[in-house]
Amino acid sequence: MNDGPRKITLEEWEARYTALLAAGMREPWYGGPLSRHVADGDYRLRTLYFDNSAAALRLWNFLLTEEDRLREARAQGKTIVGAMKDLGTVPVIAFSLSNVVAFYPDGAWWIPCIMELSAGLFRIADKLGVNDAFCPVRAMLGAFVNEAHFPIPDLLTCSVGATCDDFSAIAQRLEGLGHGILWWEIPRRRVPDPGEDAVLLPGGFVAPASQAAFVRSELERVRAAIETAAGTRLDDAALNAGIAAANRVRRLLAALRREAFMAERAPLPALEMLIAEMLAIHFCSDRAETEEVLQDLLAEVRTRVDARQGVLPRDAVRVFWVNPVADLRAMNLLEECGGRICGTEYLFCHALDAIPEDLAPMDALARTALADPMAGSAGDRAARICRDADAFGAEALVVSRIPGASHCASEGVIIRETVHETLRIPTVEIEVPPVCDALQQTLRTRIEALVETARARRSR
Amino acid sequence: MIVVGVDAGSRAIKAVLWDAECGGAAASGVVDQGVEQDALALRLLARLLADAGRTRAEVARIVATGCGRHILRFADAAMTEITCHAVGVRHVAPDANTIVEVGGQDSKLIRLDRNGVVRDFVMNDRCAAGTGRFLEMAATRLGVSLGSFGALAERCRKPAVISSMCVVFAETEIIGLLASGVAPEDIAAGIQASIAARVAGMSGRRIETPIVFTGGVALVPGMAAALEAAFRQPVSTAPEPLMTGALGAALLAARDLPDGAFRGRSSQ
Repeated sequence: MNDGPRKITLEEWEARYTALLAAGMREPWYGGPLSRHVADGDYRLRTLYFDNSAAALRLWNFLLTEEDRLREARAQGKTIVGAMKDLGTVPVIAFSLSNVVAFYPDGAWWIPCIMELSAGLFRIADKLGVNDAFCPVRAMLGAFVNEAHFPIPDLLTCSVGATCDDFSAIAQRLEGLGHGILWWEIPRRRVPDPGEDAVLLPGGFVAPASQAAFVRSELERVRAAIETAAGTRLDDAALNAGIAAANRVRRLLAALRREAFMAERAPLPALEMLIAEMLAIHFCSDRAETEEVLQDLLAEVRTRVDARQGVLPRDAVRVFWVNPVADLRAMNLLEECGGRICGTEYLFCHALDAIPEDLAPMDALARTALADPMAGSAGDRAARICRDADAFGAEALVVSRIPGASHCASEGVIIRETVHETLRIPTVEIEVPPVCDALQQTLRTRIEALVETARARRSR
Repeated sequence: MIVVGVDAGSRAIKAVLWDAECGGAAASGVVDQGVEQDALALRLLARLLADAGRTRAEVARIVATGCGRHILRFADAAMTEITCHAVGVRHVAPDANTIVEVGGQDSKLIRLDRNGVVRDFVMNDRCAAGTGRFLEMAATRLGVSLGSFGALAERCRKPAVISSMCVVFAETEIIGLLASGVAPEDIAAGIQASIAARVAGMSGRRIETPIVFTGGVALVPGMAAALEAAFRQPVSTAPEPLMTGALGAALLAARDLPDGAFRGRSSQ
């Protein structure tokens, strides 16, 4: 058995798991063989390729046991906050209280993929009038109706305004089903007028001070609602500690991205990097464990980089990937086509930036929320993508569209044109549905063509 | 020494036998696509070898392209249609800067740099809008063969407006137009304009000339003119447009031969 870094199937993980246990691997309570999740209906695992490290196994087990953690939290009497649409701000507030757990109901958008449509969530959404003209996040409606995937939260929050129109419509339908929602508004970020007071945001953006003050006031309402739901007051000291803890996660992710994306050989597959990055916005319902999981991954990556080992050939084309994919299989496909991830913008790059710790905590959170790429213009987003793609040495760029998702219906063209004009690298736009098996050839042609084009430019 | 390019497209399999020593095509041919792509392509190859008086033992390398490229087990390598059409078109039209390729299920716009290397490309979405499939559906609805669709469109007096890009919705529109008494030739011309607009829309804000049109749909009379109208730029049709993908694959196969064995103009 080859113990070096490589990608393996679920079947191969069986033997690998036995070998790791025999070698003394110690697992957390949620550990175990990956295959057991298939028995729970996570059929997509059978068609994916995984990293073969113990750290990756821990990451997957952490992700796929979130439901157990939430039910345990409910059993322990903790307050459960469902933070919808907001990508990475409300959970920071919620986790600042020890008796509160936050999760991200929108994350249910991956259930149809992971369970290969067997959970019937889309069928429930269809019956509620939210059909496939909407983003796959409509699966969340089904999860609320059948209560099979997460406990109903004690408090639901949802950001609206400069967010995804689809999601706003879906969340309104959810409220119509009787789930009360605390709506909070995020305005469209604008450039300050001449002479207008301005504030600097994470990510290098600038916004009018009045907008930051408004978002702060909205977040104060969220904070108060969480306090009420939890029956505990959240003081600034605890909030500062919560921000510091969130920043530890963000710094770990920043280090992981830097090491993995800049390495000569990709030390970790694109799929595991995607799962890891997602932890920035929801902590998979356990912030402390998130740190442990990421530390393990970072240690594995550093070991591999030091040993000049990787999971892909050295000459893999360096691809910057924009938007998360509805079908995780697409990340494998990129690598099968000769590419490797060297940078990403999964719509929450602001959640990877450190929250300012030299400001009053609510001001810091407000500025972080305003830095959300969805709150700004497509041009702002494209500019940041160019900056990051350049810094990570991207040779090509993929814009992956989410079917029905209105926030990326027109952004793709703007991003591609800006990248082309600024970096002069080839780009391609694809659309990845929740189960892309029937479209794999179509997707493969586009990604392979991108890789071929980038390779041809190398030899020019 | 012979090399072969095989383009396994959605509607047809095309193959070019390239004589790497004299730098010219030894034979070329087309067969309808089917379920057993590998067997169909092998039979085509055998036929072309026989036509050219050559044997399989003389074939030094085979490159496959097209949507079925990974199914052809006998091929030595697979390359995408983007790369192959770029090489093939540059061989027959050395000054091409932009290539428009419209095939059975894909449409592509390929931008080349001054050396003929692919600079960037755009492909249609996964739906069949702006592809040959769109034309096939329209021809069926209008009761003509695909081969006579262009001739029908040429008789148009006032092109009908087809507002839907989606094949399914467009079919509904065609039925409605026919029911309203709109002449089939006007509908046919409207369909061509719709496809051309879709393809031109992929080009973004800039289009660099010369533009060369290739792929199976380039054989349909009137399509090049429809593209010219949509781009507002001259569009020339590649010689033997059905074969440029296979030709490019053959030239790429020749390039991988030992130094000196390849004679061709392709520079990619």
